[in-house]
Amino acid sequence: MSTIEATTSQRSGSQGRELDEGRLERLRHVIGHAGHLLPSQGPITVFVHHNTLHAFEDLPFDEAVQSGGRIFGCEPYLSEERYREALGRGRIRPVDLETVLRHDLNSRGDEPILSLCTRFELRLAMLRHSIQTGPAAELRWFVAETDALDRIREDAPSAVRERLLTDTHRRAMHDFTEMDGGAGERTGSDEFRDLVDDLRPRFGDLAKADWSDCSWEAFTLRALWRVCREGARGLKPVAATPPAIVRSRDLLLEATGRDTDLLVNDVLTRYCAAYLDQGLAHGVLPDRECGFYQAFCTVHRQPAGPPERWQIGLAQELARLQDGGIGPLACIAESLDRLGVREEQWDRFLSETLLALRGWAGMFQQVEERNDRVVHPIAPGSLVEYLAVRLVLERFAANDVAREELGYAGPLAELPKTVERRLPPHRSTSPEQRAFVVFQLAQLFGWTPHELHGLSRRGWASLVEEIESFPNVERRRVFHAAYERRYLNQILDAMSVHGRRDRQPVAVPQFQVFCCIDDREESFRRHLEEVAPDVETFGTAGFYNIAMYYRGAADAHFVPLCPAVVTPKHWVEERVVEATESNHQRRTKARRVVGAVSHWIHVASRSFAWGAVLSAGAGVVATVPLVSRVLFPRLAAGVRRRLGGHVQPASKTRLTLERAGAEPSPDEGGLGYSLDEMIGIAETVLRDVGLTEETLARLVLVLGHGSHSMNNPHEAAHDCGACGGAVGGPNGRAFAQIANNPRVRERLAARGLRVPEDTVFVGGLHNTCNEYVKFYDTDRVPASHREEFEAARGAIERALDRDAHERARRFDSAPLSISFEEARAQMDARAEDLAQVRPEWGHATNAVTIVGRRSRTRGLFFDRRAFLTSYDPTQDDADAAILARTLAAVVPVCAGIGLEYYFSHVDPYGYGCSTKLPHNVAALLGVMDGAASDLRTGLPWQMVEIHEPLRQLFVVETTPEAMRRVLDRSPSIDRLCRNGWIHLAILSPDSNDVQVFRDGRFHPYVPETTELPKARSSVDWYRGWRDFLDVAAIEA
Amino acid sequence: MSKFITLLGVVVVGSPVVLLIALGGWSLTGRRFNESVLSRAISATIAVGLLASIAVLAHMLVGDSRHVVIAPGSWVAVPGYHFSLRFVFDRLSVPFAILTYVLCGTIGAFGRRYLHREPGYDRFFVLYSVFLTGMVTASLAGTIETLFAGWELVGLSSALLVAFFQERPAPVRNGLRVWSVYRVSDAAFLMAALLLHRMTGEGDFDQLAGTGFWPYGEATLSSTQALTVGLLLLVAAAGKSALVPFSGWLPRAMEGPTPSSAVFYGSLSVHLGAFLLLRVSPILVLSPLLCGIIVALGLTTAVFAALTERVQTDIKSALSYASLTQVGIIVAEIGLLPPLLGPWACYIPLVHILGHACLRTLQFLRAPTLLQDYRLLENAIGTRLPRSRSIAGRLVARPVQIWLYRFAVERCYLDSWLDNYVVGPVLGLFRSFDRLERRWTAFLTGGTPRTSEHGLPPTTIFEER
Repeated sequence: MSTIEATTSQRSGSQGRELDEGRLERLRHVIGHAGHLLPSQGPITVFVHHNTLHAFEDLPFDEAVQSGGRIFGCEPYLSEERYREALGRGRIRPVDLETVLRHDLNSRGDEPILSLCTRFELRLAMLRHSIQTGPAAELRWFVAETDALDRIREDAPSAVRERLLTDTHRRAMHDFTEMDGGAGERTGSDEFRDLVDDLRPRFGDLAKADWSDCSWEAFTLRALWRVCREGARGLKPVAATPPAIVRSRDLLLEATGRDTDLLVNDVLTRYCAAYLDQGLAHGVLPDRECGFYQAFCTVHRQPAGPPERWQIGLAQELARLQDGGIGPLACIAESLDRLGVREEQWDRFLSETLLALRGWAGMFQQVEERNDRVVHPIAPGSLVEYLAVRLVLERFAANDVAREELGYAGPLAELPKTVERRLPPHRSTSPEQRAFVVFQLAQLFGWTPHELHGLSRRGWASLVEEIESFPNVERRRVFHAAYERRYLNQILDAMSVHGRRDRQPVAVPQFQVFCCIDDREESFRRHLEEVAPDVETFGTAGFYNIAMYYRGAADAHFVPLCPAVVTPKHWVEERVVEATESNHQRRTKARRVVGAVSHWIHVASRSFAWGAVLSAGAGVVATVPLVSRVLFPRLAAGVRRRLGGHVQPASKTRLTLERAGAEPSPDEGGLGYSLDEMIGIAETVLRDVGLTEETLARLVLVLGHGSHSMNNPHEAAHDCGACGGAVGGPNGRAFAQIANNPRVRERLAARGLRVPEDTVFVGGLHNTCNEYVKFYDTDRVPASHREEFEAARGAIERALDRDAHERARRFDSAPLSISFEEARAQMDARAEDLAQVRPEWGHATNAVTIVGRRSRTRGLFFDRRAFLTSYDPTQDDADAAILARTLAAVVPVCAGIGLEYYFSHVDPYGYGCSTKLPHNVAALLGVMDGAASDLRTGLPWQMVEIHEPLRQLFVVETTPEAMRRVLDRSPSIDRLCRNGWIHLAILSPDSNDVQVFRDGRFHPYVPETTELPKARSSVDWYRGWRDFLDVAAIEA
Repeated sequence: MSKFITLLGVVVVGSPVVLLIALGGWSLTGRRFNESVLSRAISATIAVGLLASIAVLAHMLVGDSRHVVIAPGSWVAVPGYHFSLRFVFDRLSVPFAILTYVLCGTIGAFGRRYLHREPGYDRFFVLYSVFLTGMVTASLAGTIETLFAGWELVGLSSALLVAFFQERPAPVRNGLRVWSVYRVSDAAFLMAALLLHRMTGEGDFDQLAGTGFWPYGEATLSSTQALTVGLLLLVAAAGKSALVPFSGWLPRAMEGPTPSSAVFYGSLSVHLGAFLLLRVSPILVLSPLLCGIIVALGLTTAVFAALTERVQTDIKSALSYASLTQVGIIVAEIGLLPPLLGPWACYIPLVHILGHACLRTLQFLRAPTLLQDYRLLENAIGTRLPRSRSIAGRLVARPVQIWLYRFAVERCYLDSWLDNYVVGPVLGLFRSFDRLERRWTAFLTGGTPRTSEHGLPPTTIFEER
């Protein structure tokens, strides 16, 4: 940088330098702004769910998805067919659609459209019936080759159909019957007759009145079609013209059909991966440490490059840039000038350019910003450098394509002038397309050919305008609102009806269980409460307020276990107990040898000489793991576990939780928390869930959760979101250890939080994929509690069987008649199966977050769709401080999960990363499709397949005043609610009243029903059905 | 006994054909497969075929018949000249057929779960059965024309599987590229087959090989004839096995679903070229020059691929270049060892193929689990994984290193070299023919261009048929 500035100053003096510097500064700012649009998914090994359209949160939801859709080239909602299919099977009820449409139109709904129908009727018909359209050529085919002109649409109501036919029949007879004495003046009916006169011979002699019904139907439709074409002719075209093209790539693509991005991306994909690589390749990009720009120039200016025609002169250009000391920013400015991009176009041009390879560009940004989370960090400013290289390549590619396809060799800045002549004319809607829509609507409403023929020009114009004011995107918006309304009402009904039931609180809980708020724990908790009715369960963010860097006894590094937005300040290590120290040392050594050998084989099998020796000498041995793991995954896993058992760390370990030194650090002495910090952790969690006075059972189980599966680059997306996409077992374990600490309890009592002396906490880990729970430090459970602990463990095992069974119903490969044990075995097998692309459904069913006492939801079947957060409004202070901190943690996480699933489902290719089948792990950072593609962000189709794309509904048990105070103090939550990115409702703490937050106010909700379906148990309710189920009351 | 083994042989060859007919026929009805019925049909086919081929092997090991021939008939037979459909069970074909069954069987079981609910499920398994039939036919082929038939089926199904995700442009583009390379290699193969027929009147391997059975045959061609035929076959093998200069298609073939890219390009079809060379090894040894060329081509490929593998930043490309390194070495072994050590040395490349195919399939299937594997390895070793340093890195000066890096990252420039120096001129030639034709037709018709150039129907008719 400094060198360029030096050269510039010599050239143009100090004034010019200031000008240049100002310009470059503006450029840097614009690039930073454009960068906001890039996907913000980091390295895939820690998967953090977030709103895919985070950059648009300032806009209302509908506006955001539509403009985001335009910018990214993606779908805003599901397709119309999907919604219509949902309407067909009752997922959207007619009443939902009508209510939503009425609300949308307000008073404008009853305005008449000419004298044909009301606006409401017109739009409802356009929603309920599929109105086909297409390019002119397709329409031509459709009209000529199908029975579109022979048969009235099958979905036309029969009364309408009758009216259409009878009326046309009568009027046609009237028009065609010639009276003796000749015609008088020409009238409308004469014009109509001229229009259809040539149709008559087709069907036989009209005078004999022997046309069949089919003939009349065909005649009617043909007449209608001609009238529509006549009417739609010569109307004003739709005004919208596409925005001017700023990228020369788009210009050339339009004019020649050649895509210069193919050339550029091919080179860039390779170098981006090489630059960002976290250790996959053996050979490192030369000069990587000097930044992308320098590294690319160094490598690519080498003589004797590939004979690519478009790269002729590139080496010289890079040499000029590098030797002339022209920095990346100056290089971008230069490219912009040469491409003829004016300063007011910078923003659009640069964001479009960045989005051309958005996955890789986004990863530049992510790795740059979170240098602490990667092994091989990159230099700051890399994204700017990437852009500089990209623009140089784009210039060369555009020059080449322009020269070859257009014979244009002038400067690129002048290219638009030359090319614009060659652009195909902008096509607006053709008269035939408009006519065809009216033609179809006429059949649905029974507008007769004569009626339409009688419309004035102005009438036609306003009819067409009315129809076109409700285009595809608008229809989908209304559909989506109806789709959500159905679900919202179902949940709110359940919440308000359920409250009316008489419930006995669990008087003396046998034991209590803490789980993460995760929607997957909903079914686990429900089943546990069913098999052990005297159990209480609680939900709280699964990192249990312990934000730590954690290292297990057999781990190489510390990993952060806390929400992604938090940077931990504490370090915790798992240590083996001293008695087993020597054993541990031996095992560590053995493990190191096994690891070193495996790694050597991994590398050597791919090398030249060793590869030959290994594959020729021992390659056939690979058939054993190959065949066994594919055909018998569970058995093979068992064998591996048994063999691996000899090198596993000793089972007796402890966490180093109590810090001796003053400052936390990863070194000996700095590990752990001080006593005060531990007290703070315990107090916050207990108060959050509302466990304050004498309400703790003798046994409390604290479960973290995680997921283990094979062959799954997206494994981390199934882990605990509250632990930043990692396995949360150590957090549960650490919390139990803290809460068991007598000194912590002593000081808690002083703060008015008495933990009974005979209460024992046990930490554990719930594996949500293979459905196992593992407990930690069970040797520390005192003898007095042993029996209860075993009983609790038994209950949990039974609940897990049932949980596995409920999950199995969603997998086609599990028979519906499967038993509990088989279901459990099948879940275990899924986790170990190399060929399994759906080890679990993860959050695929998420839809609602409920913040409140479990007693308000206990006994409701939520179908694994609900995040359940425990919060007791009666224990909160007047300022709602607990609610505020609970929501501050819960809302971003749950809304982020819901929205990421929403977008990955509505556009699996654009927002999601499409199907997993061709995925290819690249640079250890993400996945590509096949051999070389953009880095694919978002969720794979196999994770979101069964998802219902809905905005998350939050139901909070609180008062409007308290909720308002929370919103006032948290701008980010307020923004999400106000802009409709989430739905918010509140449930009164002491009645069953529900209020819905809409347009900035709380409106009372009127339940649609007073009864919920009842079932004896969850199994009784879901048995035999694979799809989503309504909320039911389980009367166990 | 000989009847029994013939029957077994028919089962080995016939079971994939039955599967192909069943699947192909059903898919022509336009109805979808039932996933579990389909998987049972595939398992049954594989089990029957595999057991039968193992039985043949056992019989060959126990008994003394080292060479069983099944000849369902001839396509053409005139005195002194015939094209016949023959299958040979010998020490080369039986291990290769067993390998085919084992790997295809594993992939069948894998794909059944991996492709569950995929829209292209049916298409995948129809192509799978085409591939299986092709591989079995090619490995057991007793004549060069039978081998060609199997070879074609393999090529067709491979290209279509690369383009499996046909709704995206990249797979289709790459599938087309694979297909064009295959076509070049097929053309060379066909020419070689015709030449052989021209020279000897037939394409039967056992006749070509003269007195002994593989690998102890002695061909009766002259050295020049062997060189000509051998070179053509080498081009064919180079295309199929992605040897230099055709290597560019191999990583591109990774566009398909993981299981098909694993078995088809990583392990089976990439070895088919080497298999072809092994099959005709009695011819190859006749010409030392040919052997020299084979060794050179094999080693060049191996070195190029090893160099490229080191800088690959995605696991599938890395594995496919690792695969190519070994294929290059195998080809070099075929050219080097039999002339040096005698015919028995053909077993070395054969064992190399078998071992390498199994190892690589396992690695390909496990490729998506790389991230977990790395974490496990790091935890076991206790540090970040070390990056291995190559010999080049230690010996070579920095400018050369940078040059080599780029050479490797751009995949040895092979694709752009082919595009610029082969495809470009050929296209140019044909375009000039086209221009010539256009001028001629214009001249002959008095100015009106060819009718094929204004194809669009009129745009005003919107109604009547």
